[in-house]
Amino acid sequence: MPYPAKLNQIIELFETLPNSEKREALISYADSAMRQGPKDGETFDLEDVRKDEECTDSVGVFLKISPSSRGCTFRVTLGPHVQTLTKAMTSILCKGLDGLTPEEVIEVPADFVPRIVGADLVRQRSQTVYYILTRMKGITKVWMNRQRSAQHV
Amino acid sequence: MIDKNYAHPAALVTTQWVSEHLSDPELRVIESNEDILLYDTGHIQGAVHIDWRADLQDEVIRDYITVERFSALCEKHGISNDTTVVFYGDKSNWWACYALWVFRLFGHTKVKIMDGGREKWIAEERHLTRAVPQFAHGHYAQIEKRRDEEIRAFYDQALAQSRGARHLIDVRSPAEFRGEVTHMPEYPQEGVLRGGHIPGAASVPWKMAVNEDATFKSHEELRAIYEDGAGLKRGDDVVAYCRIGERSSHTWFVLTYLLGFENVLNYDGSWTEWGNRVGAPIEKS
Repeated sequence: MPYPAKLNQIIELFETLPNSEKREALISYADSAMRQGPKDGETFDLEDVRKDEECTDSVGVFLKISPSSRGCTFRVTLGPHVQTLTKAMTSILCKGLDGLTPEEVIEVPADFVPRIVGADLVRQRSQTVYYILTRMKGITKVWMNRQRSAQHV
Repeated sequence: MIDKNYAHPAALVTTQWVSEHLSDPELRVIESNEDILLYDTGHIQGAVHIDWRADLQDEVIRDYITVERFSALCEKHGISNDTTVVFYGDKSNWWACYALWVFRLFGHTKVKIMDGGREKWIAEERHLTRAVPQFAHGHYAQIEKRRDEEIRAFYDQALAQSRGARHLIDVRSPAEFRGEVTHMPEYPQEGVLRGGHIPGAASVPWKMAVNEDATFKSHEELRAIYEDGAGLKRGDDVVAYCRIGERSSHTWFVLTYLLGFENVLNYDGSWTEWGNRVGAPIEKS
């Protein structure tokens, strides 16, 4: 399955970068992670803030679905102890998945992660790079299930 | 202020001491973290980065780098045989202690830990930089072979320790010790097939040795934990283990440098070796 256009742009950018610049780009994305939280006055269809065993701190995922286009907007809050790669993936995914339909979000393959992060950074203790994508898909699935249930009532 | 009652108080330095010695040419500061990119986000000025896996471990065999590669690593960072190396890092200095322990495997004895690690440096709002320092290559004379036998335990030694009812210290979380989980909270499963602990091991989680601010507890407090509580005596042979050897490096540092035990080995194969090994005896409780 092809990657969504916005995510694909990010993947292609990372693939052109030498390792040192790849790290700099990841740090830059990590730096902007704290700006991915809910903006003042925003409302959401679903909110899921929790601390899981797989991640070193609490992560909040907020989902808003446009009634007209069914496009998803994700906002994410991160506790201070979340690892740098997880922060970087947060910014990348908020940008890369923006505007996709719920069905498209569910279909995004996870195999892009090593292409962005580099195989040497995806290793035993860095499996949490997949965590944010899993949480985004999880909240999207909950929204879809609720929609289905509502339609059958 | 470092507790003067520690057995080797010079092995532990304060953040203030480090900040006052940043331009000391005889000293190199090394950051070693679990978070792979943390150094890149900002580090102590002049500190170099050593990655526990990419720099210190062989990429193919589960073992450490060769003496040749260790010398080259040191030379790259401007470290010579007589350079004093100060380690610090995240996670209450787990990986700093691990890197220090690996340096000791190669016979480098001029080593120190910055008490409180990265957390304390940041909590005190001390300066961080993203500038990566460049040092003139040092000259590091290779030792003949690694000194594993001095501070490292292998499976057979851990087994003999268990069978001989000698001290084995399991520093993992209580749930890992009891075999309820095979990984510590907040971490992914790292491929261990069986849960539990080495028969006869005592559970003394590493965390008992540190304060909330990631600094080490006082000599008296540590003595109460390891000597009064766990029944260790200074002349004892002790083997510490965890899951892959980093948390037990922390305890190894406490026992060796802060309490003055002379015969402490770190079993770095730890539970990922023991819990996967066919026929290895396991106790659950």
